[in-house]
Amino acid sequence: MSPELLVALVIGAGLFGTGVYGALSQTNLVMIMMGIELILAAALVNLVAFWRYLHPDVAAGQMFVLIVMTVMAVEMAVGFGVAIARFRSRGSVEMEEARELKG
Amino acid sequence: MTAQVFFLAAFGLAAVWFGIVVFRTHSMVRSALALLFSQTAIGAMFLVMQAEFLGVLQIMMMATEMSIMAIFMVMFMMDPGGLGEMDMKHQRKLSLAAGVIAFLAAIGVSVFADWGPAATVVPSADEQLRMLGIELLGRSMLIFESAGLTILTAMIAATAVAVQMPAKKEDAS
Repeated sequence: MSPELLVALVIGAGLFGTGVYGALSQTNLVMIMMGIELILAAALVNLVAFWRYLHPDVAAGQMFVLIVMTVMAVEMAVGFGVAIARFRSRGSVEMEEARELKG
Repeated sequence: MTAQVFFLAAFGLAAVWFGIVVFRTHSMVRSALALLFSQTAIGAMFLVMQAEFLGVLQIMMMATEMSIMAIFMVMFMMDPGGLGEMDMKHQRKLSLAAGVIAFLAAIGVSVFADWGPAATVVPSADEQLRMLGIELLGRSMLIFESAGLTILTAMIAATAVAVQMPAKKEDAS
């Protein structure tokens, strides 16, 4: 394995671990979204590294990156929509105060 | 150590460090800016990996996205500057354990999987763009169009959820 690929994958692992910690530990909805953004960023790093160091002649690798970027944008749009609705109805986006959503 | 390994590691460590700063600072605005720096460092990693289009796209998209996030932080938080040092964490040990396990599992897969021989030659930026365009408007067109439709649906859904409905008027009769 090339050292460049290993470095990129280790960085991706670091971003993924940080994102998992953030998404689970935060009580604010927007901060949870930031954790999810980091997890998706880790996926982006891995996808670009796989494209560059394993299959640079296959454009589908770059297309996967565009799809993950789409997922990031969708997550932000829907997340902020939910945050605004929640803030309007309850005056807060703290998830500790959203226990009634639990089934 | 090649220059590419050095710059990948430097920008990568910056990305991870700013990612950690996101959850360490009490200021929500600083969190959004730290995430912006982290995502920009990731864009710089793409440039180092010779994916010019994706690198520039990542930096431009995240600069806009994180600016909007910072504005939302100011709108939604009682203390966006973090002066009161509010604690906004819960289940710390569980989260830390999950993060460490996820990190170690990903490292394990990275190190022990057989990824095959590494490619040394990469197409030029012009050639990459041409190949990507042909891929998007050819074999992968359905996926590409689906992504566009998904974004449109998300925009409409987010607006519909967020918009404030006017209160119903009382019937006078």
